[in-house]
Amino acid sequence: MIRTVAALVVALALSSLLITVTGGSPPAALQALVRGSLGDATALSLTLLYAAPLLLIAVGACVSARAGVFNIGQEGQVLVGALAGAAVGLRLAVPGPALVVVILLASAFAAGLWAWLSSLMHRLRGVDIVVSTLLMTFLAQQVVAFAVNTPWLLQESRLGRATVLPQTNKLPADALLGSIGHYPGLRVNAGLLTGAVLAILVAVVLARTRWGFRITLLGLNPRAAQHSGVRVGALGGVALAISGALAGLAGAVVLASPLSTNRLQPGTSLGIGWDGLLVALVARNRPLLAIPVAGLFAVLRSGGSFLAATGVPSYLVDVVKALLVLAFVAPPALKRWSSA
Amino acid sequence: MSALTLRAVSKRYGTVVACDGVDLDIDPGEIHGLLGENGAGKSTLMRILFGLETRDAGTVLRDGEPVRIAGPQDAAALGLGMVHQHFSLIDPLPVWENVILGDTGRIRRAAAQAEIHAVAQRYGLPIDPLAIVGTLSAGERQRVELIKCLRRDPGVLILDEPTSVLTRAESAELFAVLRRMVRSERRAVVLISHKLAEIAAATDRVTVLRRGRVVFRSATRDTDVAELARQMVGRDVSLGAEAAALGLLPATPEAESEVDQTPAMRLRGLVVRPFLNGVDLDVRPGEITGLYGAEGNGQTVLGDVLSGLIVPDAGIVELSGVPVALKRPGALHRAGLGIVPEDRHRAGVVLDLSVAANLVMKDPVLNRRRLRRTAQGLAEEFGIVAASLDAPLRTLSGGNQQRVVLARELSAHPKVLVVAQPSHGLDVGAAEDLYSRLRSCARDGVAVLLISTEIEEVLGLTDRIAVIASGRIAGEMRTADATAERLGLLVGGVAR
Repeated sequence: MIRTVAALVVALALSSLLITVTGGSPPAALQALVRGSLGDATALSLTLLYAAPLLLIAVGACVSARAGVFNIGQEGQVLVGALAGAAVGLRLAVPGPALVVVILLASAFAAGLWAWLSSLMHRLRGVDIVVSTLLMTFLAQQVVAFAVNTPWLLQESRLGRATVLPQTNKLPADALLGSIGHYPGLRVNAGLLTGAVLAILVAVVLARTRWGFRITLLGLNPRAAQHSGVRVGALGGVALAISGALAGLAGAVVLASPLSTNRLQPGTSLGIGWDGLLVALVARNRPLLAIPVAGLFAVLRSGGSFLAATGVPSYLVDVVKALLVLAFVAPPALKRWSSA
Repeated sequence: MSALTLRAVSKRYGTVVACDGVDLDIDPGEIHGLLGENGAGKSTLMRILFGLETRDAGTVLRDGEPVRIAGPQDAAALGLGMVHQHFSLIDPLPVWENVILGDTGRIRRAAAQAEIHAVAQRYGLPIDPLAIVGTLSAGERQRVELIKCLRRDPGVLILDEPTSVLTRAESAELFAVLRRMVRSERRAVVLISHKLAEIAAATDRVTVLRRGRVVFRSATRDTDVAELARQMVGRDVSLGAEAAALGLLPATPEAESEVDQTPAMRLRGLVVRPFLNGVDLDVRPGEITGLYGAEGNGQTVLGDVLSGLIVPDAGIVELSGVPVALKRPGALHRAGLGIVPEDRHRAGVVLDLSVAANLVMKDPVLNRRRLRRTAQGLAEEFGIVAASLDAPLRTLSGGNQQRVVLARELSAHPKVLVVAQPSHGLDVGAAEDLYSRLRSCARDGVAVLLISTEIEEVLGLTDRIAVIASGRIAGEMRTADATAERLGLLVGGVAR
C-alpha cells in the first residue's frame, strides 16, 4: 500500500515535471483535464461514454488474465466486434429495438470466436497466445479496412456523384444505444449500464462459483488444476473467448453510441482496446476495481483532448497514462523481486 | 588451525531463532558431518557461510582470520565451495557451459573442456563435457555440480544433503570421491545431512544441531547411530517408522495381511514412450505396496499418469475392476484414487490459494461457512498447523503442506492412495507422522502404493515391493523376502 502511494506520488511528480518542461503549467493542465472531463454535463457525458467500452474490455481482460492466459489483442477484438455489429446492423432486417440486442450479441460472438482462434493455435501448434493475440490485431485492422473499402462488402452507398469514403453507411436508428434516464443535459448511455452489470456479474462468478474457482486454479497453477480435473486447454480457451467477447461488445458499444459517427471506419476502435488492457492492469485483474479505474482512464481520455487548449501537447496524456500504469504495476513486481 | 571456524553465530527470522550461538570448527583433512532435522538450522548456517544470509551476531574465521562474507563471490574468494541441495544446473546447456557459468572474461571452449577432463580425472568423476545436462541422471548431475565447485580449488567444500536424489551406489561413489579428496589434498568437507547412516559411515567428526543450537559433538568413531539419533531428535528413537526416516534399516515390517485379495488397482501394459515400457502392477486393499527404483526409471512419469497429468500411449488403469477413462479430466479422482504427488508444489497444491481452498480443491465447496467447517475439521484430524486457514498455503511448512494434500485426498475416502516420494523435504517428525497415517490407512482397507527411491522407507513401510527399472517392473516380492542386496540387484537390472 505504502509502495503504491509512493509510486503514485513519483508518477504525478514526473508528470508535472514533463508538463513544466514542455512549457505548460501543471495546475493549469490539471484544471483543464478536470474541466474537459467533469467540468459540465456535456463533458461528464463524454467521460461516461468512454468509461463503458473501457470497462467492458477491462473486465474481459480480468477473466483471461485470472486464468493465466494473457490476451493483449483487445484492440483487434474491438474492431472485429464492431465489424460484426455493423454487418448485422446494416444487412439484417430485424424489426424494432431488438436490432440493437442482436448487434451486441453478434459482436460479442464474432470477437469471442476471433480470440478463441489464438487458443486453438496454441493448442494445435503451440503458438504463444500473447504473440498471436497481438498479431491478430493487425489482421483485424486489415480486414476492417478491406470491408469498408470494398463496395460489395460494407462500404457506404454512392449517392449521386459524391465521393465515397472508407466507411459504412450510418446504422439505422433502431441499432443505436440510447441514453437511460432523463437528467438535465447529462446523458448516461445504455453501454455503461451493460458494462457495470457485466463487471459485477463477472466478479461474482469468479469469486463464488465452481467455474470461477477453476479459473483461479488454472491461473495460479495449471498442473494442479489439471490434477484436480480441470480441462486446462478448453477452459483457457473459454476464458480467452470471454475476454474477446467482452472486447467485441465494447466495439459494438463504440459503434452504436455517440462516441462514433455510428459508421464503421478503420479508426472506429479509437485505440480503446489498448487502454482497456491498461485498466485491467491497474485494477490488478479485479473486475470491481476496474469500475473506478475505467472512470479514471475515461477522465484522461475526455480531458486529454481539452488539455491541448492549454498549450500542453495532448500526447502527454498518454505519457501520464503510462506513468500511472507503472505506478500501480511496479510495486507488486518490486515486492516480488525483493523477496525473491 | 581450523580451516573454518564459527563463533557464536546467531540468526533469527522474526520470532524464530534459526541459529543460536553456534560454534563450529572445521579442520583441514576431515569430513565434518552436520546433522539435524529439517529446521534445525543447518541450511541457514550454510547460507550464512555462503553469504546468502547475513548473520545477526557472531564471527566467522577462515584460517584464523576474521572474514566478512557479503555474497557468494566473497565466499568463493575465500575458498568456500558449495554444492546445493537442489541442483542449480541449466538443463538445455552442455556440461562444460554449466561448469563455467558465472566465470568472467572470454569463453575458451577447449580450455574449459580440458579443465573439466583434468578435474574429472583427478577425482574420478567421469563425465562427458559435451553432454547436455538435461539428459544426465541425478548422479551425473551431482558430478557436474562437484566439478563446477572443485575447479575453483576450494579449501572448504560444503555439501547440502547431497544424497537426497542419489541411489545407494551413487552415494557410495560420492563418498569415496570425497574421502580421496580429503586424504590426499587436505581439503575440508562439510557434509550436511539428516541421514544418520550416511553421517556415521562417511564422516570423521560430527556436530548435531537441534533447534538452532549445537547439542552434541564428537569424533564419529566414538559415537554410534543410536546416540546420534537420540541427540538429533532429542529423545529415544525406537519406532520402525522413525528408524526408516532416519535412514536406519528397520527390524521387521508390520504384520502382513494373509489373503491374496483381488487388487484395488490394476495397471496393465502402461506405456508412455520413452519412459514407461509396459508397466503391470497390482495394488491390493489393506496393503502398502512399494514401488522402488533409482530416480529416473519411470516412476515420476507413472506418478504423472496417476495424477491425470499424462495420458498414456497405451495400457489401462483399473480401479476395483473397472477401467478408468484416462482422457477424462478428474476421472481417476472420481473412480476413487487419491494421490499425494511427488512434486507437491507443482501439481499437488496452489501455493497462493488459502489453506482452506487447497483442502477442498478437487471438490470445491463454495459456501463459506461450510468451507470453513470442512477445512477446520480436516486441519484438526490431520494435525495441520497453520496460523489461519485463510492464509495462503505458501506460509505453511513443508510437512504441513503435505498434510494438507494428504488430508484432501483422504477426505474423499479413496479406495487407492498413491504416495510418491513422500519424505522428500520432510523432517523426521513429519515423515514419522506420515508413515503412521499411511499404515492406518492400509489397516482401514485402503490400497496404498508408495513410490519411493529411499530403500529404508520401502523396506520399513511396505508389505510388498515392486522394483521399477527402465520403465518396467523388474521384479516383485513380499517385503519379508526382500533384502537391500536383492533390491539393489533388481534396480541395477542384474537379477530378475
